[in-house]
Amino acid sequence: MADFPLLSSLVVLPLAGAVAVGLLPRARRELFLPVGVAVSLLPLGAAAHLFLEFSVGEPDFQFVERMTLYEPWGFGWHLGVDGISVLLVVLTALLVPIALAASTSITDRVKQFVVATLLLEAGLIGVFLSLDLLLFFVFFEVILVPMYFIIAIWGSDRRIYAATKFFLFTAFGSALMLGGIVALGLQALDQTGRFTLDYVDLLGLDLSRSTQLWMFGVFALAFGIKVPIFPLHTWLPDAHVEAPTAGSVLLAAVLLKLGTYGLLRFNLTLFPQATVDLVPVLAVLAVVGIIYGAVVATVQPDLKKLVAYSSVSHLGFVVLGIFALTSQGLQGGVIQMVNHGLTTGALFLLVGMLYDRRHTKQIADFGGLQKVIPIFAGLFLFMAFASIGLPGLNGFVGEFLILLGSYVTLPAAAIVAAFGVILAAVYLLWAYQRVFTGPIEVAENRGIPDVNGREVALLAPLVALVIVLGVYPRVALDRVAASTEAVLDRIEQATAYEVPEQGRLTDVGAEAEE
Amino acid sequence: MSEAAGVSLMAVGPEVALLLGAVLVLMIDVYRNPPRKLLGWTAGTFLAVAFGLAVYQWFRIGAEGPSLSFGGMVLTDHFSVFARWVVLVLAAGGLAVGWGMIAESGRRAAEAIALVLLAAIGFQLMAASVHLVMTFLALEIGSISLYVLAGFTRDRVSSDEAALKYFLLGSFASAIFIYGVALTFAGTGGMSLLDVNAYLAGEGTETALVVLLGVALLLAGLAFKISAAPFHAWAPDVYQGAPAGVTGFMAGVAKVGGFAALMRILVVGFPGLAPDWGPPLAGLAALSVIVGTLLAIMQDDVRRLLAYSGVAHAGFILIGAIAGSEGQPAVWFYLAVYAVQVVAAFAVVAVVCGPASSSAPFGNFAGLGAGSPFLAASLALMLLAMAGIPLTAGFVGKFAVFVAGWEAGYEWLVVLGLVTAVAGLYFYLRLLVVMYVRAPIPAEAPGAAPARARVGAPAKVTLGAAILVTMVLGVVPGPLLDLLSDVL
Repeated sequence: MADFPLLSSLVVLPLAGAVAVGLLPRARRELFLPVGVAVSLLPLGAAAHLFLEFSVGEPDFQFVERMTLYEPWGFGWHLGVDGISVLLVVLTALLVPIALAASTSITDRVKQFVVATLLLEAGLIGVFLSLDLLLFFVFFEVILVPMYFIIAIWGSDRRIYAATKFFLFTAFGSALMLGGIVALGLQALDQTGRFTLDYVDLLGLDLSRSTQLWMFGVFALAFGIKVPIFPLHTWLPDAHVEAPTAGSVLLAAVLLKLGTYGLLRFNLTLFPQATVDLVPVLAVLAVVGIIYGAVVATVQPDLKKLVAYSSVSHLGFVVLGIFALTSQGLQGGVIQMVNHGLTTGALFLLVGMLYDRRHTKQIADFGGLQKVIPIFAGLFLFMAFASIGLPGLNGFVGEFLILLGSYVTLPAAAIVAAFGVILAAVYLLWAYQRVFTGPIEVAENRGIPDVNGREVALLAPLVALVIVLGVYPRVALDRVAASTEAVLDRIEQATAYEVPEQGRLTDVGAEAEE
Repeated sequence: MSEAAGVSLMAVGPEVALLLGAVLVLMIDVYRNPPRKLLGWTAGTFLAVAFGLAVYQWFRIGAEGPSLSFGGMVLTDHFSVFARWVVLVLAAGGLAVGWGMIAESGRRAAEAIALVLLAAIGFQLMAASVHLVMTFLALEIGSISLYVLAGFTRDRVSSDEAALKYFLLGSFASAIFIYGVALTFAGTGGMSLLDVNAYLAGEGTETALVVLLGVALLLAGLAFKISAAPFHAWAPDVYQGAPAGVTGFMAGVAKVGGFAALMRILVVGFPGLAPDWGPPLAGLAALSVIVGTLLAIMQDDVRRLLAYSGVAHAGFILIGAIAGSEGQPAVWFYLAVYAVQVVAAFAVVAVVCGPASSSAPFGNFAGLGAGSPFLAASLALMLLAMAGIPLTAGFVGKFAVFVAGWEAGYEWLVVLGLVTAVAGLYFYLRLLVVMYVRAPIPAEAPGAAPARARVGAPAKVTLGAAILVTMVLGVVPGPLLDLLSDVL
C-alpha cells in the first residue's frame, strides 16, 4: 500500500462523490441524500484505514505525497499527516456522513445541498493535510464558498446576514494571512535564493524577532477569527444559529478546529520566538473567552445559541492548552479539539432533532420533555455531561490535561479557567432542567415522538466514541504525543524557552486514566 | 536602433487580416442584403486567420528573436503577440456574445462587426507600438471604434449619453496623452520609446522636470483608458448605457490595450525612472482599489457594479505594474483572465436583461439560480473569480500581482489590496445571494426581468469556454505563468 496516494484519495473521494451526486437525474430526488451519505462513507473508510495504518510514536509526517506544481512559487501538492492532524481528518470524515444523514428535513434543492456538503468535506480534509502554505490557503479559503451557501440557502430567517458576516469575517483574516504567506516566501527567497511556500522548507528559515511578531500577528488574526478567540467571536453565534443542522454540526465540530489547528501547526512552529513572547496575551484572551462564553451561554434563551456560545468557552480551553507550551497542554488541546467536535456536534444534532419536532429552539417553549421523550432526554444529558467534562467521558480527559498543563506554566490562568468547567455545568444542566424536567406547560410538547431508529443510529457512533475516549484515551493520545513533543522540541531549540520538568511527560495517557 | 526599421507586412499580419475582414464585411453588406450569418462567418474566418498569423509570429520570434519594423515604430516581440492573442480572443468572444444584438440590428449589423474588428486592430497595435505617435494613433483607432459601439443602439437615450460621455472624456484623455508625448519629445528629443530610454540612460541621474511632467501626462491619459481612479468617472455610465452585448468587449479590450501601452511606456521607455513613476502609480492603484470597492458596494445595478469593480481591478493590476518588467507576467496573466471574466459576466447580463438593454437592476437576477442554472452558475463562477476565490484564475492573478508588488517593495499597497479584496467580496456575495436565495419577481410585477431570450449558441460556447479557462487556469496556472515569465 506504500505507493497508493491515500491522502490524495481522501481529498478526491468527496470531490468525486460530489460529481456523482451532481450527475444524478433531477427527477430522482429521493436518491440525492442516500447516495450522498453512501459516497461520504468512502472517505470515512479511507480515514479509518489511515488511522489504523498510522504508525504510533513517529513524530514526522507520514503518508507524504509531494509533487511540485509551480516551481517559481515553490508551490506544490504536498500532503502529509502527523499526530496533530490525523485525528481531525478522522473526525471530519466521520461527521460528514452523520451530518448528511441528519438532514432529512431539508427538502429544497437537496442535490445542491449534498454537493455543497461534500465539497466542504474535501476542503476541510485538504486543510488538515496540506503541507504547502499556499495549498493550505487555497483549501482554507475555498471552504468558505460551500459553507456560505449552506448557511445562506438552507439557513433560517436571518441567514443572509449571518452567512455574509461569516464570510467577510473569515475572509478578512485570511486575506491578511495571505500577505504573511507572501512575505514568508520572499524571506525564503532572501535566505535560500528560492521562493518557496513549502511548510517543511519554511521551517528552516531564520526569522528575526520583529518579523516573527508581525507574521505571528497576521496568522493568529486569521486563525483567531476562525477559532474564534474572544473578541473576534461575534460572527459565531449568528452563523451557528442560522445554519441548518448539518451546517451547525460541521461548523462547530470541524470548521472551528481549523483555527486551533492552524495556530498549533503554523504559529507555534514557524514563529517560535513570537509564540513564547506572546503567550501571556493569548492566555489572557483564552481565559476571557472561557469565562465570557460560559457566562453568555448561561443567559441565552435560545438552545442553539447556548450551544454556540459554549463553543467559545470550550475553544478557549483548547487555545489555553496550546499556549501553555507543555506536553500535557498541547496533547490536551489536540484531544479537546476532537472531544469538542464529538460532543458539540452531537448537541447540535440533538437541538436540530428537537427543532424538527417542535419548530422552536426557545428554551421557554419546552419543559418536562423527560416524560414525553425519555430516550432523547437521556442522550441529551449524556452529551451534556460529556461536554461538561464528567470523569469517564471524553471531555474530562481533555480539560484535565489542559488544566494540568497550563497550571505548570500559567497557574493563574489555569485557576480562572477551572471556573469555566463549573460554569459549563451551570449552563448545560440548567438548560437541561428547564427543557426536560418539571411539568409540561406547553400543550404541543405532549405528543412529540421520541428518537427513531435512524436518529439513534446517527448518535450511536458519537456516544460510543465519547465513552471510548473517556475510558481509554490512549488510543488517541498515543498518536498525538510524538508530534506535540516535536513541536515543543522545536520551540526549545529555536528559543531560550524551556519547558518545565513537570510539563514534559511522555506517558500522559496512563496518568489521565487514573 | 532605427537600422532594423524596414517595412514588414508580417509584423502587422494579424492587423492586416482584421482590416481585410472589416472591409470585406462592409463590402458584402453594400452589394447585397446578405444573411447575417454570412457576415458572422466572414468575421470569424478573418479572426481565425489573424490568430493563426499571431501564432506563427510567436514561433518566429522564438526562432529569430524580436524585430523592429516601420521606422522603429512597431516591435514584434512576445509581449505584443500575447497581447494580440488576448485581444483576438476578446473580439471573437465579444462578437459571439453580442450576436443577439448584432443580428437584430438590421442593416447595421455589418457596421457593428466592422467596428469590433477595427477596435481590435487599434488595441493590438497599442501593444505592438514602441513609438509614442504610433501608440497615440492606435489608441485613437481603438477608442473611436468603441465610442461608436457605445452609442450603437442610438434610439436609446442612455446609449447616446454613454457614447457622448465616453467620447468627450476620452478625447480629453487623448489630449492629455498627446500633451505628454509633446513634453517627452521636448525633454528627450525623441518619440520612440527606445530613443527616449537611450537618451535618459546617457543623461545620468538628473532628469529634467519636463520629462517627468511628460511621463505623468502619459500615465494620466492611459489611466483613463484602464479606468483607474480618479480617472474613472466615465466608466459606470458607459458600462450601463452601452448595449450589453458589446459592453464586455469594450471593458475588456480597453483595459488590455491601456495596460499594454502603459507597460510599454514604463518598461521600454522609462525603466530608469522607476523611483519617479512608482509612487504616483502606487497612489493610483491605492485610490482605484479603495474607490472602486467602496462605490461598488453601493450599487444596485449589475452593470454599474461591474464598472466599479473594474476600477478596483485596474488598481489590482497596477499593483503588479509597479514592479515594471518583473511584474509583466503577473500583469498579463491578470489581464487575460480578467478580460475573459468580464466578457462572460456581460454575456450573462446581455441574456438576462436583453442584449440592447441599458440597465441591469439586481431584481432582474432574482431567482436566476433556479430558473437558469447554467447562466447563474456561469455568472457565479465569474464573480467568484473576480473576487479572487482560490481554484479560480482570479485568485492566481491576484496572488501573482501581490507577489510582484511585494517584491518591488510596496508592502503597504499589497496589504491595502488584500483588505479591499475582502471588502470587495461583499458586493459579489450580494449578487450571489440575489441569484440563489431571493425568489424571482413575478413577470407582471414592477422590476421583473424582461422575458428571457434564449441563450444563443455563440454565447453558450463563449460562456462554456470562459468557464473552462477560469477553472483550468485556477487549478493549473503553471503552464501559462511559466510561458509568460519565460518570454516577458
